[in-house]
Amino acid sequence: MASKWFVVKRLLLLVPVLLGVATLVFAVLHISPGDPARVMAGQRASQEQVEMVRQEIGLSDPIWVQYGRFLADTAQLKLGESYVLRPNQSVASILKNSIPTTIELAVYGQLIGILLGLPLGVISAIKQDSITDHITRIGALTGISVPIFWSGPIVIILFSVTLGIFPTNGRIAQQYFLSDTWLFFGHELPRTGLITLDTLLLARYDAFVSAVRHLVLPASVIGFYSMALISRMMRSSMLEVVRQDYIRTARAKGQGERITFLKHGLKNAFIPVITVIGIQFGTLLGGAVLTETVFGIEGIGMILVDAIDVGDYPVVQGTVLVFALLFTLVNLGVDITYSYLDPRIQQ
Amino acid sequence: MSTHTHANGRKRGIRGLLARIRDSQFLSELASNRLAIVGLLIIATIAGLAIYARVFIGGLPPLTDGQYEAITLSNLSGNSDMAEAPPSLRYPFGLDGQARSIFPRVMYGAWLALKWGTVTVGASTVLGVGLGILAAYYGDIVDNVIMRTMDVLLAFPSLLLALALVAIFGTGLQNAVIALVLVYTPRFARVVRGAALKVMEDEYIDATVALGATDFRVLVRHVIPNCLAPVTVQSTLNFGLAIIDLAALSFLGFGAEAGTPSWGWMLSNGVEYGLHSAWWWAFFPGLFLALTVLGFNLLGDGMRDALDPRMRDAID
Repeated sequence: MASKWFVVKRLLLLVPVLLGVATLVFAVLHISPGDPARVMAGQRASQEQVEMVRQEIGLSDPIWVQYGRFLADTAQLKLGESYVLRPNQSVASILKNSIPTTIELAVYGQLIGILLGLPLGVISAIKQDSITDHITRIGALTGISVPIFWSGPIVIILFSVTLGIFPTNGRIAQQYFLSDTWLFFGHELPRTGLITLDTLLLARYDAFVSAVRHLVLPASVIGFYSMALISRMMRSSMLEVVRQDYIRTARAKGQGERITFLKHGLKNAFIPVITVIGIQFGTLLGGAVLTETVFGIEGIGMILVDAIDVGDYPVVQGTVLVFALLFTLVNLGVDITYSYLDPRIQQ
Repeated sequence: MSTHTHANGRKRGIRGLLARIRDSQFLSELASNRLAIVGLLIIATIAGLAIYARVFIGGLPPLTDGQYEAITLSNLSGNSDMAEAPPSLRYPFGLDGQARSIFPRVMYGAWLALKWGTVTVGASTVLGVGLGILAAYYGDIVDNVIMRTMDVLLAFPSLLLALALVAIFGTGLQNAVIALVLVYTPRFARVVRGAALKVMEDEYIDATVALGATDFRVLVRHVIPNCLAPVTVQSTLNFGLAIIDLAALSFLGFGAEAGTPSWGWMLSNGVEYGLHSAWWWAFFPGLFLALTVLGFNLLGDGMRDALDPRMRDAID
């Protein structure tokens, strides 16, 4: 069957991309100006100690040996240990704690964007060149022009500092967690890591409310941006579809405008928008770096920034790898979904 | 050739250029797009401010240290808390905590943003056009090697790739610009490759080759000029993104040096220290950043709509 082949082909195409990504990540450690052995041994270590560390972590081996080892380790998700940011904690465990944080934020942001962006785009297209259309379009263009690291501070100043409605920092009020141990009121957390889900599973509704209140501002800022992009795409896709012959046919056979639009128009216009939503999700993951910094949320974005700041290379490698992997997988999912919705793409 | 005629028979030289501009479907369609004109006006205003700032403010106290303003201030009121005064008639955007007036700093930030934006987009356009043309013209292995490399670079969200590259090259404004050039090059390569493939379907290219033109001549005289429209549109659309990404790198502390009057750094200073006390620190630099980007997006959008539909497909 053709569609199976498409999936297989698409999966095979992943191999060179992932290899390239891994090579780039390897380069982070080996081309960068800092000396990892020196960073690990500490500034006051003697030259001998630094050399010992270098031997220990295999940095004195030939580069292709190191490259091979890196690929093998990475394939088994052995990502090494942090040596500055959280000394002796494994990169994998740091990532395990922070990935759900980033994903949770991106999912809520994207949900807001979809729920607002799709209807706005459709209305804008149906009432093309009306005042509603103009306002939506200008609003959408403004939305994609405003960087998150400006809209973020503004909503904080407005809703948090001035009006005091929402909290600004972190994911949940301080009283609800004990730092890294994640002991929640003495229970071990039923850890999905998605804090809104975890609090619900524990039936701690007060904690849930606190988590939601912490999410409102960052998710809205992300949602506004994503709404702008989705409504633009939905509008132009809808306008494109409306010009197609099958819409004329539907009208010619006497079908009502509403059904023509909803059944034939919307369904087909939705296909390219799915791509945008997928790509958009990847961009949101990248934007996490900024949102998390502005709102003080400890996801992979913030960890990456901190790790680059202090030169913690294993952590930099791990986070970059995870970001690229998530982005690639989302794109893969989008491509496959797309191929099922629009079989023409497989040719 | 002494006839001074172009392949399609039009006059060359400045008069020819003017005639081509007058006849251009692209430009006349663009000129009738009100939003695009608004975008152009915004960009022109920001560029005017930038040049004014470069000529008249460059090197003056508001950019370097707060001594000058602090002295004027203490003469006025004798109050040292004034170092972070809110917006007033004398200081329209307020002072930044080190007694530096934010208004001239924001204007100078426009100069920095446009300058480095131009460098970033310019360099990635040149690189991208070169790679894209090579890939399209030679096809096969060359195409595969170039485009698969571009695919790897496109496998990252842009800001993330920039961060990974900054981690490799080290921080600082120049390295941030180099990183962004590498991030943006694949986008241009892809557009140019798509456009060039379409141009090469045309028969006049076959005709030129049949007349014995060298590869170089075909590429430089025929393929590249006919790809310029989509490239210009892509540059405009990416100019805004490049300015945001540059500001983002400075915001995260990996771009402009601390204290530089760049919008990104001023924003990060405002978020780090002024969020609860001095809203104007983050507000004004960000406002100008957003306005500039909006200008480029409005113009770029209009340009894309005015583009020949056949070429529009090449742009994502």
